[in-house]
Amino acid sequence: MEDLKVTLKQQIIEALNLQGMTPADIDDNAPLFGDGLGLDSIDSLEMMVLLERNYGIKIEDAREGRKVLESVQSMAEYIQQHRKI
Amino acid sequence: MMKPAYILSASAISPQHTFERGQLLQPIMSSNNGRLYVVDADYRQYINPVAIRRMSKVIKMGISTAMNALQQAGIACPDAIITGTGMGSMLDMERFLKDMIQLEEEALNPTFFIQSTYNSINGWIALQTKCNGYNQTFVHRGHSLELSLLDAQLLLTEAETTQTVLAGCFDEMTEEYFFIKNKIGYWKHDIPDSRNLLQHSDTPGTIGGEGAAFFTLTNQPAGALCSIQEIKLYQDAETSEVQTGMLQLLANHGLQPADIDLLLCGMNGDARQQPLYQMAMDVLPSSAVGAFKQLTGEYATASGFALWLAAEVFRTQQVPAPVLYKGTAPARVRHILLVNHYITGNASLVLLRGNQQP
Repeated sequence: MEDLKVTLKQQIIEALNLQGMTPADIDDNAPLFGDGLGLDSIDSLEMMVLLERNYGIKIEDAREGRKVLESVQSMAEYIQQHRKI
Repeated sequence: MMKPAYILSASAISPQHTFERGQLLQPIMSSNNGRLYVVDADYRQYINPVAIRRMSKVIKMGISTAMNALQQAGIACPDAIITGTGMGSMLDMERFLKDMIQLEEEALNPTFFIQSTYNSINGWIALQTKCNGYNQTFVHRGHSLELSLLDAQLLLTEAETTQTVLAGCFDEMTEEYFFIKNKIGYWKHDIPDSRNLLQHSDTPGTIGGEGAAFFTLTNQPAGALCSIQEIKLYQDAETSEVQTGMLQLLANHGLQPADIDLLLCGMNGDARQQPLYQMAMDVLPSSAVGAFKQLTGEYATASGFALWLAAEVFRTQQVPAPVLYKGTAPARVRHILLVNHYITGNASLVLLRGNQQP
């Protein structure tokens, strides 16, 4: 799980071009949107694409997506349970 | 007849040092590989750091020149935003199309798609300035900027109160674009120094370039650098038709050929386009002649650099030595005629008048 979270953080940094950030700068439980990393709605679409490309996960339900994308922790847990790649 | 559109400020990012105020066009930048890329500005001074991370270079160039032009004019929010681009954000479009092929149209990144649209820079500028007014992007190859200026002039002519329009242009050079256009003979080979491009005007082809330029326009002369008096556009026209248009343009404004102090031409070293510029020089035999594409390379909105340069010449009353192609620099510059031709058959004439008339 720890390895997955580090990989996921690296993938988020690359996908969203978070210049100057390293995986160590992202708290596992910090909210990705709003006060945390300050991401926006386009970033949420980018992360849906990231899940689909890297883990074969397609989230159709917007409410489910909102829960999954709360933090790195919630994303990693979801990936572990639902990954197809 | 339309009223003049007064240029309050001008800003350009180009392959030369044009963005930061310093000695005009110094030091001169050049290349030996058939294309010129812009000298990057410090884009973070003009764009929110959260937003900048997903922007490609042309978007950063466009927004920065737009905001810089507005700052120079002391305008926070213009009444309208009108731009022209030949190709828009090519890099984003290339990335999006490559993804479509590689990923078989599944799981496509939204950012590249959103930003590949021609009007995305206008949208960003509108968001940043909170401008809810008229917002238009013209995409007409070598007439893109000229049509945006014409639209701005129409808008300002019809306005009953003082209005400001932010008008500008942007285009970028990508490796893919260079490669594709090379296949259809756009570029010259073996130009060891781009500064000497015009010495090779007896063969077809040119060098590639890119850039962005923005202008704050208004319908009142106070504080203006110069004014756009009239714009004439020609598509696939015979040289004689453009010649008639030039003479008509002078007559429309009560000018003689000798009244044009500087003829600024878009000569690009391509022998196929030289007759038009030769005709312009023949019509204005006593005018000093300037050329700029040896400094910018060729692109659909390279005339934006020429308009920025003209505004700087009016401001400083000096024609920079690297621009001077024929004749001697005039002691005083009151009228400049821009003549440009793009490979897709788009020719344009833009008559400019300095704001300090005798």
